[in-house]
This record gives sequence, structure tokens and C-alpha cells, in this order.
Amino acid sequence: MAVKQNEDYCSNCSICSTLCPYEALKKEPETGKILLEIEKCQVCGLCYSACPAKAIDTIYYDVASLIRYLERAKQEYDSDTLVIVCRGSAPDFVGVEELFGVEKFIPLSVPCVGRIPEEVLLKALVMGIKGINVLACDEDYCRFERGSSVTGRRILGLNLLLEQLGYGKDVITLKRHSLKVKADTDLCISCGNCVFYCPYDAAKLESPGVVSFDLASCRGCGLCVAMCPAIALDLENWERERISALISKLSSEMQPPKILVFRCQWAVFPPLDGREPAPNIRFIDLPCASRVDTSHILEALQKGIDGVLIAACPEEDCKQEKASGKAQHSVAKLGERLSQIGLQDRLHFCTVALRYPEQFDRELAQFSQKIEATGSKESK
Amino acid sequence: MIVTTQKPLDEILDYISPYGNILIVGCDGCTQPPRGLREAKTLSQLLELGGKLRNKDFTFKVTTLAKQCDSYLTASMLKPQTEGMEALLSLACGIGVQTIAEFFPELPVFPAQNTHFMGAEEREAGTLEERCAGCGDCRLALTGGICPIARCTKGLLTGACGGSKDGKCELSPERDCGWVLIYEQLKKKGKLELLKESRPPRDYQLTGWKVTT
Repeated sequence: MAVKQNEDYCSNCSICSTLCPYEALKKEPETGKILLEIEKCQVCGLCYSACPAKAIDTIYYDVASLIRYLERAKQEYDSDTLVIVCRGSAPDFVGVEELFGVEKFIPLSVPCVGRIPEEVLLKALVMGIKGINVLACDEDYCRFERGSSVTGRRILGLNLLLEQLGYGKDVITLKRHSLKVKADTDLCISCGNCVFYCPYDAAKLESPGVVSFDLASCRGCGLCVAMCPAIALDLENWERERISALISKLSSEMQPPKILVFRCQWAVFPPLDGREPAPNIRFIDLPCASRVDTSHILEALQKGIDGVLIAACPEEDCKQEKASGKAQHSVAKLGERLSQIGLQDRLHFCTVALRYPEQFDRELAQFSQKIEATGSKESK
Repeated sequence: MIVTTQKPLDEILDYISPYGNILIVGCDGCTQPPRGLREAKTLSQLLELGGKLRNKDFTFKVTTLAKQCDSYLTASMLKPQTEGMEALLSLACGIGVQTIAEFFPELPVFPAQNTHFMGAEEREAGTLEERCAGCGDCRLALTGGICPIARCTKGLLTGACGGSKDGKCELSPERDCGWVLIYEQLKKKGKLELLKESRPPRDYQLTGWKVTT
């Protein structure tokens, strides 16, 4: 399990149950004890970051591994500026330099900045890091609902404290940014598909005319991008050309049998310790499995990838209004078409819950075995 | 919209296998499901993969037209793109295929889709259903906006046949009885008396094959 509660340490203070956006931690009325209901947990890490008694453990981005990473990265990047981003707001740190006015920096990408405890930020300063820049998602866009707002309050408090200690004003800079859809109105055919599929009512089609987007409502899930029949839409920082380029790059550095995994970035968290995946396996993390474009799957197969695995969240855990189910549907439809040319075994869709990290490992191992078997059969 | 489904990829590969440079032409018009630029690209990728397995290399170019059945659009938008092409593969309904086949007599033109009917999308259910039979003698004003020819399996114009059970058709029990739908709709509109009117038989001459604009 990805999150555990140590009852011996727990003082039943209720901070975690107040913060938990999913009611996974609740105070039992009769005993006054805090109970963790793991089935409801979305592994946002807010409880871990806030527990004063260290009664919560997580296998993702715990204090020890964050500090180990910072020590290593400080040497590697030779910088005293730290940039912490939520992977939802800045995949691959695109645009970060401009946003914070920094050139060289230590990059730290985490699934929600709300999971970073104060002590990590303080430890970073102790290590000699001079400036800390944090990029969160817009508050109402936060995939973990409260992560961005909790970070805001935390940084406000820390900055006041650091000022009193003589570190100067606003040592930690917080900015917020959310990724949005981009529409090429020249290509729009006014079909209304995006209006139908958008879970947030952000797409508007006023007759007569082409589509427009209410960007304040757009949550950047990418479902409309994958559904637009005219290829008129794209998603900031996840542009199709970028994904295509990434497929080419990864395919060229892999060894056969090549397995490419498109993952929802909220379904699987990459480890911080820089462990390299097997030489025949590479990952592309997307804002949601619904952003997996059929053309990218086919492109991967065209570029010599032997098997494509799609890892999505179970529908009940989907951070994007059941977009996981829509992704499953479109992958299944592509699977039917691939079966017409005998390639059905090359594509597999699975749902994996982050709270049970072994689920993804198991799916990947099973798919790898299948692809290896298919490959050796074909080479005979 | 005109409802189509993709032909089996093997069949399409058979059509195009004698050729190398192929232009896939999408249609942004009424073809459903959408057969625009994205589908043209997806099909090109699938056929390229399918071709490789047959040891055949194709070079695809993809494009789309606002309406493939419009010969003016075909002349102005498609013609310049056919240079160097050995065959055209159309994603449109049968009408679009015929329009470009007629316009480019020197080029082989193949359909990628089978054309079924004029219908509408039930998006939640993920189905496309026939709605209009194109009879030329529209009675929708009398039937609560539900076409008895398209929606009644037997195409009856004068009322239910008597074989309907629990609102379903006796011939295909998965299908709604068109006349039950008409009855329910007229009841909602408070127009049940319309069912009592006697009507002239359908004028089959109106179905026709040509009208003057």
C-alpha cells in the first residue's frame, strides 16, 4: 500500500482528517481515533506533509527521499536555485525559466506540491539553496482539490517565519499556472464534438461560428484534443508534436522488444531515486489517459515499438470526470481495428490504482511477457 | 447525417495494393462517425502498418473537404492535391465517393466506408440510428416528428401492426416499435386525435431520382 498509518504514533489530532480531500481519514465518533480507509485514498500526500506526529508513511516522495534527491541534484545541476513544480502544471519544466526568471536551477517535479512538508523546504535552505520557487496549479484546477491552496498557506507561513529569522522577505516564491486547450480556429469544422465531450462546459459553439473556449473553466484534461475529428485542438505543453518527438526519441534509445507505456500521470508516480527502467521499456506520462491519441499509439507502432501499454486510473479514481472510461472506449475501438490487420496483441489498456503500486508493476510484467512471446513467435 | 462504417482493412488493402502514392480524402460534412482529417490520418497509419505486414510500402497523403459531395469544392480544393497521386481513397459516404470518382475519371477512386442510412447519433448509447428514409412525401407533421417509414420495421403508414410487445417490434425485439413511439409522442403533445385522421396512401412517385433546384 502506498500510504500507511502508524497507530502507535498517532495522537488523533485530526489535522489529517481536516485536510484529506477524499474523506479517507476520518475520526471515529465513538473512540475518537483516526482511521485510514485506503480504498478512498488518492495518495495526494497532504496528510503525510501535515502530520505533526509522523504517524503517516508514504512510499512516494517521503522526506528522506526528497532530501536525498536534493543533495544529489544540487551537485548534479550545480545551482543554488530550486524549482519545485506540480507535474500537472509544468510537464518537463517547460516555460519555468521565464516564469521565475531563472536560468540554472535544481528541478524537482512532484505530483502536487501540496505533498512537500515544511521541513524539506527548510532543509533545502540549510543545504545552501538560496531561492526556492514553487509552481502550483491554479487552486480550482488542483487535481487533489486542496493541494494548491494548502501550499499557498504553508508558504505564506514559512516566509513570515524566515523573515523573522533574518532570511529576508519572500524567500520562497509561489506561482500558479494551469495548462489549457489551444484551438486552431482555421481548422475547426464547427462539429461540436468538443462541446459534447468537455466535462467542464468550457467549449462553446455559437451558431454560426467556430468553437471558443472559456479558459477559466478548462481543466486541461485533453479529452477534446483526442476527440476533435479535425485535429484543430492541442493542449499546452502536451502538444502533439512534442509527444511525437518524444516517441521518436524514446524508440531510438530502446532495445527490442520495445515497450512504450502511456501513463496517466495521476495513475503512476515515477520514483525520485532516478532508477532507470529496463532498456526495452519507456514511459510517456500524460495529463490523463484520455489524452492518449490513437494516432500516437499507431505512430509508436510505425516507429518500431513492439507493444503499447496504456495505464489509466480506475474510473472511480479518475481526476477528470470519468475520462478514464472514455479512454478505455477509444483504445478498445482502436484494438478492434488493429485486430483486422493482426496486431491486436500489441496494444493493451489497463487501469491501475496508485494506492496499490504493485498493480502497475504486475500489468507491465504481464504485458512484457506477452510482447516477448509474440516477438519470438514472429521471428521464427 | 449519413451513417457509415469503416470497411474491413483487408478489403481496403486489396483495393489499394496495386498503387503506391495514395491520397486519403476525409469529409467534414454529414458523414458519421466523423471522417475528417483525424480519421484520414488514423486510416493512413493503420494501412501503412497493414501494408508492412503484406510487404507493401504505401506513401499516403491525407486531406479533407468540407463536403465531398460538392463538385465545386472538389474542383477547387481537391484537384490541386491530386498531383502525383496514383489512387484516391475516400472516407465519405457513397455520394462523396461518386462525386470524386466522376470528377477524376483518370484516377482510381475507392471507398473506405460502407454507407448505411440517413440517421442520427445517440451519443450516450454510442449508436447511430436511421431516422429518415428519404421518401419524398414527409408525414412528420402528422406523426409527432417520428418517421414511420424509418422507425417502424415494416414501414407502416397507418398505425401499429398489432405485433408490438412491451413497446418493442415483433420482428426485432431489440428495436423500439415505431408506432408506439409515435403514440407516446403524440400523447405528450396532446395531439392523439391526429391518429384518427384517414390519410391518402403514400405517393411512391415522389420518391423519385431527380429534382430540379
